[in-house]
Amino acid sequence: MSYWKRAALAAACAASLFAMNQVQAADWLMLQGTEPADASARAKVWGFIQAQYQKDYSKPCEYAPCTGQYIPPMLIGPDLTSQSAFNVIRARIGVRGTGMPLDNRVNYFFLAEFGNNGITHPGNAFAKVTDASITLSYIKGARIRAGLFKTPGSEESFQGIATFQYNNFTEVTNQMLLERFPNHDGADNQNLFKPAQGGVLGANQNGFKNSVSAVRDVGVEVFDSFLIGGWDHSYAVMIGNGNGLNFSDNNSNKDVYAYWSSEKVYGGKGPFRQGWKFFGWYQTGKRQLDRTNDNIYNPETHTRTRYGIGTEYLKKPWRVTAEYMRGRGMIFVGPDKPSFDQNGTSAPGGDGADGRAEGWYVEGGWFIPRTNWELDLRYDYYNRLKGDKLESHWKTVTLGAQYHLNKKTRVSLNYAIRRVNSPNFSGPGPGGNPNNLMDQIGNRVSLQLTHIF
Amino acid sequence: MSRLLSRYAAALLWVAALGLCSSAGAEVVNNKPFAVAKVALQLSDGSPAAQTLVLNVANTLIKHYGVDKVDVEIVAFGPGLRLLFKQNANKNRISSLVGDGVRFSACAATVHGMTKKLGHPPMLNPDAKVVSGGVVRLIELRKAGYTIIRP
Repeated sequence: MSYWKRAALAAACAASLFAMNQVQAADWLMLQGTEPADASARAKVWGFIQAQYQKDYSKPCEYAPCTGQYIPPMLIGPDLTSQSAFNVIRARIGVRGTGMPLDNRVNYFFLAEFGNNGITHPGNAFAKVTDASITLSYIKGARIRAGLFKTPGSEESFQGIATFQYNNFTEVTNQMLLERFPNHDGADNQNLFKPAQGGVLGANQNGFKNSVSAVRDVGVEVFDSFLIGGWDHSYAVMIGNGNGLNFSDNNSNKDVYAYWSSEKVYGGKGPFRQGWKFFGWYQTGKRQLDRTNDNIYNPETHTRTRYGIGTEYLKKPWRVTAEYMRGRGMIFVGPDKPSFDQNGTSAPGGDGADGRAEGWYVEGGWFIPRTNWELDLRYDYYNRLKGDKLESHWKTVTLGAQYHLNKKTRVSLNYAIRRVNSPNFSGPGPGGNPNNLMDQIGNRVSLQLTHIF
Repeated sequence: MSRLLSRYAAALLWVAALGLCSSAGAEVVNNKPFAVAKVALQLSDGSPAAQTLVLNVANTLIKHYGVDKVDVEIVAFGPGLRLLFKQNANKNRISSLVGDGVRFSACAATVHGMTKKLGHPPMLNPDAKVVSGGVVRLIELRKAGYTIIRP
């Protein structure tokens, strides 16, 4: 049995053991979409800052024709110009509350990003609005939220990022759920993949003109939550542009989202409420993509579908989460050009526009009793372009340790052990072979300081 | 127009009813004969933190003296009245404190003003007793030997 299989089995066993005892989870629909009844501020200012250092231990390709080249997973994002970097990856400030405190049926949520990441890096934006929504709670059982906000989906992407236990997303969330929007002209980003050296600029691998979706959309959502017999049941149905953080739509097609969760509540409140949650979600929509590198905008329409199920158990000192997700269409395979099929001369290839993918992860945390320390362990697997000749497997074990300086401040150290390969190709060797690059993807260490205010 | 008039008529009836109630609510009832401390907590701030704090203070008093040894009344008026709205997020804590003998008084004058702003009377917590004026209530409690505290 390989190391990776043993690690996965161990993680699964640990998860099942933890699940028999205790866990925590939160109702993100209500936490993000509503305010405490008759107990909210007119305008509560809040936000968080995350300062980070990352170092990547990948090595460049050793065989022609890619000798000396790097691919994005080997470089530190969002700039993708070096293998070690300090970065203010998130700096968000917002305001939320009830505009007219006497009427708790209307509340709002506004948040903007000032950090350096996939939201602000495209177009060198100084700041970007990530949330701007109004919730109407006039109909019992059918609250209405309109504007820009997080779409209901996987626990990892739906949860408040400031409370996320790891410094980086799993590969399935990063690659399959965080949607990239291709430029209309597919001619960008064809430089060689190299970090910046000796004053020479590195590869322009991140030339997207639009922000990453940040799992948000502009639209209308109907949702609510019901506490019945110690169980918190919640649902959401949403229709949106399917165009991420962009305020308007880029085509006439609309995305549809559905979400359900049921959680046995053990106690507590807010993002650290303890309970055992089960959830499922589904999203589908259409995208237009120009796949011809001819400087003429002649897009085709493709379907993008994502769905998944999962469970999260949180009861201190233990936390366990497991999710399984699948995707079809618009499978992101890299920022080259950027496109979804990467059929350019410097790209590995593969049909992402109509491709398939799936992934899952199991993670657990242990809050060491009577200390401020927390230990985390995560295994994640991602099968990109499943069934395609250029299918690739991404397996990552992340070891984490967190020290909580206080309730609002923590330091997180992560060490990610990464293994990537294309199973339909032989091992690294002379000649064109995606494993010449994938086999060189190495481990990564990251240190992050988070402060919520 | 007629709908508007009927709404205001309903509001006036509601306020009148509150006035009737307030005459009874104005009395200082000594339902804790063994109390060694009598405390009136003023809540006139509408912030969530102020709501939490006044409930915490009441809870601290109960814990320190014991249920039968302290008489606590929370008087809410102005923006602080939101604590006594029926759907307030702290309703379970209020219910728990009522179980410990803590009384909650809601200012009728504030209810009247909020009725004008909302276009309808606010729905109040059934455990709240309406008094004619929050500040008047505090004066009466002071005269009856209560210590007035504004957390």
